[in-house]
Amino acid sequence: MSTSEMLGKVLAGLGKVGEIEASAISTRDGLLMNADMHAAGDPETFVAMSATMLGAAETATSELGKSVPNRVIVETDDGKLICMGAGPKALVVVMTAPDAGLGLVLVEMAKAAEKIERLI
Amino acid sequence: MIETGIPKLDGYLHGGVPEGRSLVYYTYPGVAGDVFGMQTICHATSNGILGVYVASSTDPQMIRDQFSEFGWATEDYNGRFIVVDAFSGLIGADSQERYVVSDPEDVNSLTQCIKKVMEEMSEPGIIVFESLSTIMDLCGESETLDALEEWSQYAMLYDHALVYNFTAWPYSEETLLHVKENVCNSVISVGGITGDVIFGQYFGVLKVDWTDIARKSTLFKVLKPGGIRAYIPKILVTGPFDAGKSTFVHALSNRAISVDRLGTTIALDHGHVDRKGFAADIFGTPGQERFDPIVKLLSGEAMGIFLLLDSTNTTDFKRGKRMLEITESFGLPVVIVANKQDMSEALTPEEIRRELDMPANVQIMPAVAATGEGVFEAFETLVDMVMEVD
Ligand SMILES: Nc1nc2c(ncn2[C@@H]2O[C@H](COP(=O)(O)OP(=O)(O)OP(=O)(O)O)[C@@H](O)[C@H]2O)c(=O)[nH]1
Ligand SMILES: [Mg+2]
Repeated sequence: MSTSEMLGKVLAGLGKVGEIEASAISTRDGLLMNADMHAAGDPETFVAMSATMLGAAETATSELGKSVPNRVIVETDDGKLICMGAGPKALVVVMTAPDAGLGLVLVEMAKAAEKIERLI
Repeated sequence: MIETGIPKLDGYLHGGVPEGRSLVYYTYPGVAGDVFGMQTICHATSNGILGVYVASSTDPQMIRDQFSEFGWATEDYNGRFIVVDAFSGLIGADSQERYVVSDPEDVNSLTQCIKKVMEEMSEPGIIVFESLSTIMDLCGESETLDALEEWSQYAMLYDHALVYNFTAWPYSEETLLHVKENVCNSVISVGGITGDVIFGQYFGVLKVDWTDIARKSTLFKVLKPGGIRAYIPKILVTGPFDAGKSTFVHALSNRAISVDRLGTTIALDHGHVDRKGFAADIFGTPGQERFDPIVKLLSGEAMGIFLLLDSTNTTDFKRGKRMLEITESFGLPVVIVANKQDMSEALTPEEIRRELDMPANVQIMPAVAATGEGVFEAFETLVDMVMEVD
């Protein structure tokens, strides 16, 4: 199985969490590696902007001498966008349903992030 | 001529304030105007000119502390910095100063002291009033205006330059008009900009009778230490991937930070420049197309643009032009930086002009961001263009 296929499997696993509507994996510099978007928008821009958010958040906290953020969560009326580092080279990002509970989603994302880090 | 030491202003005033003439910094309430007079006297005394500071609202020792907060050490001026103490008399305190106004609420007492200083100064110098408005509050508006005429005559007689800090509190219309139009040879307005997205402060020449008036205003910022800087809140650095934008921002800035991952900018570069009386905040954009929404976001409110090009990479020149469109910078001052001139394949600025089909009036300047070569020349060129637009 190629790396891309294996990453696809990780995303498929996330997709089984009912409350996750879309998910993607990209490099830290915002290049798309794999996405499970269900035709919701343009994955290239989606992951690039996610990389921008995560990178900017990391710089903002480290400017204040604080540790690197564990994740960036963006809340909208239509759901939550959650962006998380997956090792030094990659990141994973998901979009949830509006009423999704964070607990399960975050646990599943952390598991996925660990797998991604080991795959690349 | 005695220079004011305020960036840009001496240019507007054709060199500064001539001997025997007067200037007022006419400040609108809410704007920090006192620093103008402070910077002017420190600039003069540090250039070997005799300076007198008339303290009306602050204790002389506190005044020296205020100056040193800006990094101006009045004790280093070898006795060329003289304080007229028109404050201690108000609170009944003893004074250490050579010149003391016994009754600061009596304009005649003040005039007497000021005349005495002017007579005793060993050479033509500059006399700066900490606060003309405080004097008006203490002595009365019309009394003060009458006294001003007397001081001006005396200053003319002895070839001293007079500089006033004045805050335009709600005095009578007549008084304000008089200060604005009649009492001084030159009037510099110092005001704030509100309501815009950028909240800023500016100064400009309202009146000058020894040269043509330059109807320009300059944004400024007060740094501690440092004093007044002509200030550009946003200069954008954009250009294709790998052109050297981040390198350029760091080479130019006193301090800078980049949000880069895996060697490329994914959010922005930000730097602050403080150089030769000019300060600016510099925003570098990403270059890769997938970040174009960020480029657009960053470019709002920019006052000038650097377009960085890798002079060896002709295939990216089109992308460079395209990025100028993305920034919606039409009509803004632009300097094209022909970067990486250290490489043997680098095109010259003129060759780049032909490739880009740019008209002759567009500035294209050579640089090596990696070593800093040409970086400040490009900065000064753009700053001049931005300041001209006002
Ligand atoms: N030879 C040479 N290399 C340079 C010069 N300026 C920058 N570089 C190199 O060019 C590469 C890209 O520099 P950056 O400053 O990251 O370029 P950038 O435009 O910010 O790139 P992106 O943010 O990815 O679009 C780096 O390897 C720099 O060391 C230069 O003047 N000469
Ligand atoms: Mg960069």
